Amino acid sequence: MISGLVQILLFQSIGELLSKFFLPTLPGPVIGLVLLVLWLILRKNINAELALVADGFSQYLGLLFVPAAVGVVLFLPQLKANALAIISALLGSVILTIASSALVVRFLSQKGPHE
Amino acid sequence: MSEQHSIAEIWVYLSGSPLFALFLTLAAYQLGLIVYKASKQNPLANPVAIAIILVAVIIQFIEMPYATYFEGAQFIHFLLGSATVSLAIPIYRGLESLRGRSIPLIFSLITGSLVSIVSAVGIATLLGANSSITGAMYPKSVTAPIAMGIAERIGVSPTLTAIFAVSTGIMGAILAPFVLNALGMKAWWQRGFAIGIGAHGIGTSRAFSIHPEAGTYASLAMGMNGVISAVAIPVIYHLFNR
Repeated sequence: MISGLVQILLFQSIGELLSKFFLPTLPGPVIGLVLLVLWLILRKNINAELALVADGFSQYLGLLFVPAAVGVVLFLPQLKANALAIISALLGSVILTIASSALVVRFLSQKGPHE
Repeated sequence: MSEQHSIAEIWVYLSGSPLFALFLTLAAYQLGLIVYKASKQNPLANPVAIAIILVAVIIQFIEMPYATYFEGAQFIHFLLGSATVSLAIPIYRGLESLRGRSIPLIFSLITGSLVSIVSAVGIATLLGANSSITGAMYPKSVTAPIAMGIAERIGVSPTLTAIFAVSTGIMGAILAPFVLNALGMKAWWQRGFAIGIGAHGIGTSRAFSIHPEAGTYASLAMGMNGVISAVAIPVIYHLFNR
């Protein structure tokens, strides 16, 4: 498990450094993610320790954003004042996003050479 | 020393250390997981939403300032970056599923993420939301750890973004089956991919509980959407907010 964590922290650190000095608009962890995917493609497999740590993280991913989201207490008046706009935007957007993605993927796979 | 005095002393001691915030956060999440399992994984009983509401209500009730809570809970928050990096593993596992279907999937991804941004920001703006709200709408279809990273880079509130992202995930997980049935979508991989774009992690776990192929494609869509959004959203945001 420790070796898995070391690998994750290594890629995270490389990502943070690249973000700080070369790609300031990209969050460091996202650069780390992309580099790790490329590394895995090169290696052609995931070592067991890395898989263990990654699966642990993804299983409880939701826990990790609780502390920041609790900050909602600071925004309650603002959220109340804009409640209608927020709920309509979220509802409308989620329906349109799922519908448009679904229609495009179906349309292109009918026309395409596959299937 | 009176009894009340000593309880107050213990209280002051505990709330000054990170222990209380850590315990509160983990216990609330644990309770959320129990409720979620008891409800047979109903998306309305989302464990993250339950934990957020519980912790928010409790710290309001005991009048603990948010800054004090966060000082303790930051140890959990810190792991977000590492969790983001470890999303590489599900993406790598999903890459196999791209084979032969990459063109429809990539165009679907681009369409979905653009529609998500334009519709959310557009509707919020039309209905008169202020710029801190509309700004936080940009990354709301992205999985929360990446969405919050994007929010920091474009200078909008990561908290609002996290709240919008979690709400989007819950709404998407509930509504997706209706939307997809109404459109007559039949292939599991197409249904899953659309859910992953629109409703990230919460939608993905719903997709896995319905059909494994839908889950694999949802997870791939969520990861790819996270990466391209991290690249594209800062550009789009600065285009419209000068």
